[in-house]
Amino acid sequence: MTLAELTTRLQTLQGSTVTATDHSKQGVNLDITIASNVIPELARLMSEAKFALEAITGVDWLAEQQIEIVYDFTSYTSGIRVAARTRVSRETPEVATISDVHPGANWHERESHDFFGITFTGHPGLIPLLLPEDADFHPLRKDYGA
Amino acid sequence: MSIEAKSIHRETFVINLGPQHPATHGVLRIKLTMDGEYIDDAEPIIGYGHRMQEKMGENRTYAKFLPNTARMDYVAALFNSQGYVGAVERLAGITVPERAEYIRVITAELNRVASHLLWAGAFLIDLGGFTPLLYTFDDREQILDLLESVTGARLTFCYYRFGGVCNDIDDEFVAGTRQFISRLRSRMPMYHALITKNIIFRKRCEGIGPITADVCRRYGGTGPVLRGAGVAYDVRKAEPYSVYPQFDFNVPVYPEGDCMARYRVRMDEIVESLRIIEQALDKLPAGPVMAEKVPRFLKPPKGECTFTVESARGSFGVRAISDGTDKAYRMKLRSPCFSNLSLFQECSRGMLLADALALLGSLDLVIPDIDR
Amino acid sequence: MDEQTQVPPGLIHFSVLDEVLDLARANSLWPMTFGLACCAIEMMATGAARFDMARFGCEVFRPSPRQCDLMIVCGTINKKMAPAVATLYDQMPEPKWVIAMGNCAISGGPFVFPGQYAVVEGADKLFPVDVYIPGCPPRPEALLEGILELEKKLTGKRRWPVAPPQLRETP
Repeated sequence: MTLAELTTRLQTLQGSTVTATDHSKQGVNLDITIASNVIPELARLMSEAKFALEAITGVDWLAEQQIEIVYDFTSYTSGIRVAARTRVSRETPEVATISDVHPGANWHERESHDFFGITFTGHPGLIPLLLPEDADFHPLRKDYGA
Repeated sequence: MSIEAKSIHRETFVINLGPQHPATHGVLRIKLTMDGEYIDDAEPIIGYGHRMQEKMGENRTYAKFLPNTARMDYVAALFNSQGYVGAVERLAGITVPERAEYIRVITAELNRVASHLLWAGAFLIDLGGFTPLLYTFDDREQILDLLESVTGARLTFCYYRFGGVCNDIDDEFVAGTRQFISRLRSRMPMYHALITKNIIFRKRCEGIGPITADVCRRYGGTGPVLRGAGVAYDVRKAEPYSVYPQFDFNVPVYPEGDCMARYRVRMDEIVESLRIIEQALDKLPAGPVMAEKVPRFLKPPKGECTFTVESARGSFGVRAISDGTDKAYRMKLRSPCFSNLSLFQECSRGMLLADALALLGSLDLVIPDIDR
Repeated sequence: MDEQTQVPPGLIHFSVLDEVLDLARANSLWPMTFGLACCAIEMMATGAARFDMARFGCEVFRPSPRQCDLMIVCGTINKKMAPAVATLYDQMPEPKWVIAMGNCAISGGPFVFPGQYAVVEGADKLFPVDVYIPGCPPRPEALLEGILELEKKLTGKRRWPVAPPQLRETP
């Protein structure tokens, strides 16, 4: 799938803003901002386009009281990199899991849950991955330990 | 569990592999549900080597975090430095002099060879053969001598700086590297006679632990694991960074997807890396090794970027977010081993325990890289 | 030992037997195959061809703690791993010794900062440590030196005299 085809398909997603970015400056080819409820649909689309999930990154925007979740997708055939981002409220960070489509997301989501306390609804087992089994803190939140 | 599963013929039991076990390469723990000698389910439990790297990326200045990157994937430390330094340079808009990029390629590829040699030795130990380790470590020590002469460290190199490298290479290093290249080339047939043609090794690897290209895609597996599954994906070719486009090298691909394919990919990569190093030494331009006017206290402008390098184990990615201060707002480190291990649970199902350990070894895991 | 502190020889010379035992122990330390992080690679290098730990009789790496008398804590102990490390120490039969290899095993090393949440700040928080080897990671020579130091602790005398460090001339 070419970059143009992918852009058109991603633009069909509800409420998405697709920006073509300069790979030499940003490291990604496409940057998509999307509402959190469209994430499963996006994941399915990316899976159909034979993209692999590279990573899930949480970012705690303390000033805006929001948590951003960035999904990095990459294609092994075309080398295209896509970053999809969504924001959820910091009080109740909730987004649907994509581990049913991308099984690799299972661990990435558990890691994000560890670090930021993001709840991935529908996840098969959202238990601590990197932190001890009984951990109840989210160390990468900006107010942790403050 | 189904009704059959509860019957006496399918009685399963749970055993723990690790966190201290010689076959788990450090502190990996695998909860195995066994049906006799066959694996019903193997759930990796990680986090025993978690060292807060991402947190420290946020509460240390950019320069102070630099030594930490060498302590994630310490077997191939220079790639992590390269990824991190590359991301920060991209954020701050620093251009690296060409000579420095060449030196980065030479040292990084030497590190790749050292990493693959160490893997070959350790993998053979997993399979029950101790002797190859002594040979591979012998060659690896030669590389460490070379790298030590320019970086000052044997293992946790902190050699790259924002805008270049901290120390120029000299004629002695160049001569030594050329000597090493011819030495290792002459020893490759010995390795193939010692390992590749060994019948026990072949029986333990051929057809064992197949990983398909689709499994790699669904789990995000990269590196030799992916290339051993027949996909010619290499970040150095797909998204060329540094000066890699100037070199002629192949991406070894084996379609079988078994342990042997992954072994062959790595052995071929050693040869390809030697080719890259040789070309880089031939073309090595003169000039400075540090960019001018790199501020002492780096404050990249507000922004976000990623930088991905082809580490010895797969794509190592850094997503850096700057808020304009001297510390990163977010420093996400995407380690290749993390994704490569996550496919183990699916792939090991139904395997013999001894074969699963061969599969585990062939993934080339570095646990503190997974746990960060 | 000067003459005043020397215990007069008794009828039964257990002390000689002890000395022989100590000598035997010192020259056949069995370390555990137990790697935590970066330092484990240097421990492997120490066991491999160039540095050859076998020269000092301690190359018999045993995967089971029940067969070991030396634990080389090589790497960061984090809070999730700490109970397992403590269990391993408890499982080793007496007499047993511990070498803390590297800064992480000494104090937590570079991973300690105010408010850190994951790292145990030193192996000696969990069990007694006999020899500390600084470095990040220590060179294989340093690990060998640490083993010689442990031998000295066991036998009361050093295997051979300390050589003054020979510094390489920097260009």
